[in-house]
Amino acid sequence: MIHIDPWEKTWVYIVGLLIVVMLGSILYTAFANSIHPPSNVETIDSASLHLSKEFAEDNLGVKTRADGSVTVTMVAARYGFYPQRIEVPANTPIRFRIASLDVVHGLHIPETNLATMVIPGFVSEVNTTIPKPGEYPLFCNEYCGLGHHYMWSRVTVTPDTTTN
Amino acid sequence: MKRYIVMVLGVQLLLGAGMVPGAPSSLVAFTPQIRSLIASGDPARGKDKAAGCVSCHGAQGIAENAAFPSLAGQRADYLYKQLRDYKDEKRVNPLMAAFAQPLNEEDMADIAAWYASQPLPPAKPADDDLGAATTLVRRGDGKRLIPACAACHAANGRGQAVAVPALAGQNAAHLGQTLQAYKRGTRANDVYSVMRNIARALSGEEIAQLAKYYESLGE
Repeated sequence: MIHIDPWEKTWVYIVGLLIVVMLGSILYTAFANSIHPPSNVETIDSASLHLSKEFAEDNLGVKTRADGSVTVTMVAARYGFYPQRIEVPANTPIRFRIASLDVVHGLHIPETNLATMVIPGFVSEVNTTIPKPGEYPLFCNEYCGLGHHYMWSRVTVTPDTTTN
Repeated sequence: MKRYIVMVLGVQLLLGAGMVPGAPSSLVAFTPQIRSLIASGDPARGKDKAAGCVSCHGAQGIAENAAFPSLAGQRADYLYKQLRDYKDEKRVNPLMAAFAQPLNEEDMADIAAWYASQPLPPAKPADDDLGAATTLVRRGDGKRLIPACAACHAANGRGQAVAVPALAGQNAAHLGQTLQAYKRGTRANDVYSVMRNIARALSGEEIAQLAKYYESLGE
């Protein structure tokens, strides 16, 4: 017969109750506020990403749309972001569209609110504006393999010239 | 008129190098179907089909002439992709294109399986100082956006899935030429310029050292 101390038993119940309350509150808020992954749900075949129209090699990079806003099309692959360097204007709506060629990556630009997971099979889309011009690093924040810590690139945010 | 001539010449140069603007750098996509095709390759059939390869790549896949690559112990997915790229003229080499042209998908998988089943070439110890290469292989250079070679090609230089080639035991002369070709852009079948970006950031001296470093690994 295993001996269980009465205090042990009490704490097992308390911890069990805490877990149920915590999980319950997460599930409740998720359903009640309909919280879901922030990006749009759009599928793509990662194995043939380079043969797709949008993520073809010469279609990557920064494009300015007719309304002055900017679209950045990028690929995350072990171990880098392609194109390696991008330049975007400050105070301008930017739409990032990113897809992974291989495994789960993350994309994060410090000091901005740009952070997203890049999941193979899906297109990650983030809309943002970067208020402050300057040089920013852009790096992977989801462990993706032995070269994860080399996976970074440079973003130059140029002063906005259209709203002077 | 002058502009027109420059444009036409430019387009022809690009065509010559297999870099048609807008065209993907390889038509190979490692879909589940292609992966199972490569896995179904039969080394015994591949050995027969590779009879024409022997004069340059050696009977067991070890090239006598260091300018040609040894294929013994190379990954099957990488070999398959190169054969497809030669056939699709994504990796431009008239000699290899002639060999790849008559092959069908199954032949390519069989030949790839044959070379993959062989042991890597023996290591050729290097007596030069390979300090710079060792640092690049193990640590890369973050400032130049060069990942450690070992991150993809593995610490033992045997490569990994998908289609990251084994470099261990490879002829230094061939490996050096390959990195130079990536640097100049005359080899351009690396999807998203992964190797072209890295090779452009390497100096000639670093390329020579890296080639010797990998030759000194091997079986």
